[in-house]
Amino acid sequence: MNSDLIEIEAAESSSISLTDLLARRGHPLNARCGQRGLCRGCIVDLVGGELIDADGGKVVAGASVRSCRMRLPEGGRAVLRIHSQARISRAPQVGETFFIDVPCELAPSISWETGRDTGFAVDIGTTTVVVLLADLKTGEVLARAGDFSAQIRYGDNVITRIGAASSPATRLEMRRALVEETLAPLLQKACKRASREISRLAGGTIAGNTTMLHILANEDPTSLGIAPFTARFLDGRILQSDDIGLGGAMPIRLLPGLSGYIGADITAGVHATGMTLDDMPSLLVDMGTNGEVVLCANGRLVGCATAAGPAFEGAGLSFGTRAQDGAVSGIRFRLDPFLLETESIGGHAGLAGICGSAYIDFLATARDSGLLRENGRFDRAKWAEIPAQHRIENDEGFSFRLAGNDGPSISEIDIAHLLQAKAAIGAGIETLLTATGIRAAEIGRVYLAGGFGMHIDVPYAIAIGLLPGFRAEQVRVVGNTSLAGALLALLDRAALVEMESLRSRIEVIELNLQAGFEDCYIDHLSLP
Amino acid sequence: MSTFFELSRAVEGGKRNDAKQITQSLLDQGIKPLEVVEQGLVPGMSAIGEKFKNNEVFVPEMLIAARAMKECMAILEPLLADAGIKPKFTAVIGTVQGDLHDIGKNLVAMMLKGANFGIVDLGTNVPPEKFVAAVQEHNAQLVCLSALLTTTMPAMRTTVQAVRDAGLTSVKVLVGGAPVTQDFCDEIGADGFSQDAASAVDLALRLAETY
Repeated sequence: MNSDLIEIEAAESSSISLTDLLARRGHPLNARCGQRGLCRGCIVDLVGGELIDADGGKVVAGASVRSCRMRLPEGGRAVLRIHSQARISRAPQVGETFFIDVPCELAPSISWETGRDTGFAVDIGTTTVVVLLADLKTGEVLARAGDFSAQIRYGDNVITRIGAASSPATRLEMRRALVEETLAPLLQKACKRASREISRLAGGTIAGNTTMLHILANEDPTSLGIAPFTARFLDGRILQSDDIGLGGAMPIRLLPGLSGYIGADITAGVHATGMTLDDMPSLLVDMGTNGEVVLCANGRLVGCATAAGPAFEGAGLSFGTRAQDGAVSGIRFRLDPFLLETESIGGHAGLAGICGSAYIDFLATARDSGLLRENGRFDRAKWAEIPAQHRIENDEGFSFRLAGNDGPSISEIDIAHLLQAKAAIGAGIETLLTATGIRAAEIGRVYLAGGFGMHIDVPYAIAIGLLPGFRAEQVRVVGNTSLAGALLALLDRAALVEMESLRSRIEVIELNLQAGFEDCYIDHLSLP
Repeated sequence: MSTFFELSRAVEGGKRNDAKQITQSLLDQGIKPLEVVEQGLVPGMSAIGEKFKNNEVFVPEMLIAARAMKECMAILEPLLADAGIKPKFTAVIGTVQGDLHDIGKNLVAMMLKGANFGIVDLGTNVPPEKFVAAVQEHNAQLVCLSALLTTTMPAMRTTVQAVRDAGLTSVKVLVGGAPVTQDFCDEIGADGFSQDAASAVDLALRLAETY
């Protein structure tokens, strides 16, 4: 089951490119070379039907093609798989796409009847909320909608949110902000997109981190902020929509969590990736402010959370931003001969800032070319070889300017912050593997989840040690698996049982208490 | 022939293998362990600490340097103990109850060792009564509390209270950690706050002198 499989039929004029046709049908692709057939930004898999290539030749199912070089035959149809990387991101980037690789049966966990036959699956993140509507009769995904959470105004990180929610009155206000200002409008938007009355909603499922679900259930999350991070509940409870201010007299199932800081979002990911069914050891890495890592090997399920901080989401960096229109999302850099290319979201000028994926590109390519030393400093001799317009030297130190006179730049302080974030994740993965006696090479598959993970260049992430010791072939980018798991729990009640059973299996490792973690973390502060 | 200057440079540059080698070779040359600490390690850590305060070096380099120093200290500490060298002051240090983040605390502990403090490191998630007991047992002049989460900062207040309630009125309590501020320090009745590990050493020395 792949959420990105779409069917498309020819336009009136058969001369337009498949890229243009897809854009018209609401699937804009990353045509960063301007549809010149030079880049690999718009590659799609042809799953069914036929296409005509630039020379007029026929292309049949099974091929991967640059859609800018293709068109549909007159009156023709084609079934395409669009890879997440090929899609142009739009603001806000909320990880609406994902990959599901587990058997799923249509036996909804929410009961339905004619006239009330639509279910919703929700991922409530600390930063963003994504909603997906599905037909409970057919299992078809009808519409998606996502937005930043209105709860952000109570703090942009989970710890601040826990602090705020320890006051019962504030906790209710926080729930109201989330439900009434974000969730309800998103459900309305999704219903509108699906052309269904809101009264057809029968209920839904919600995945999210443990803190978000505590606030939603009006449970005091205070203990989640203090070791040993005990949750007041982890079981998959059922809320009534009226009780949380959503209205509509519907049941809402919260997905079960695994531990205080390995929440239902990760349960969802473990299930949706199908990693527990793999024959070889597998690893789930959910890249976010708290990068969670779960290893499944030899019948064991071991997890930890890393304190990565929000650097890769752009926070605390001089030009850092979340993925949004106009943000630089990719950088190609070479010193000799000098080359600097940037890609930006939505094809705009790239003045809105720099997002995490671009910082990773820069760390990898600048290190490879020798401009960056292993300590994250610009090599002073190589620095002098860079064209003057890219060099900023002032009281703040050295900064590499990407473009323009006041365009975004990357400073050595930014790099230090990024190194700390990548060290937290890299050392977390390595420590977890060491603690369980598994080597990176023994892992069959690394499932890289999360909105940010969706856009990173995997070989570069490996090169800088963010995914230490892996090969690109091991890594599968799986997108928002929290949402994927919520959808599975909605459509297949057996999934919920499966998820509940994961909790009794999980062993949680506290990284800070692992001998050797600090040493490993300090090792990872350098660039390989 | 290795020199103190080489050792300082190796520590400052975070070159732990070089630093250990130089430490050993200084000892082999017959130099007293205390001199190696005071003239080799401490100047190196002070130099990088100073640069850190001035924003010329950042957290990663600071941690890498501290590790180099720590590994040298591991060679030197038993020798110092054998030689009967007693530190001038004693500080009890730990992360407060509920907090497991200890990298910042470890950095401060290392810097204080370099400044010839005897360190009683209680580790992470330390309950107030354990701080109190350690102060009493070791006759410490200082207690250093670390908290990295806003959710664990209240435990600093209870720890300060416990220290005072135990009648340890002359003991100085230092607080630090990312979310901690001077205002918070004043509010909970702690004796001092510092923004970074290098400043913590200056503050610790100042407060210990007034014990």
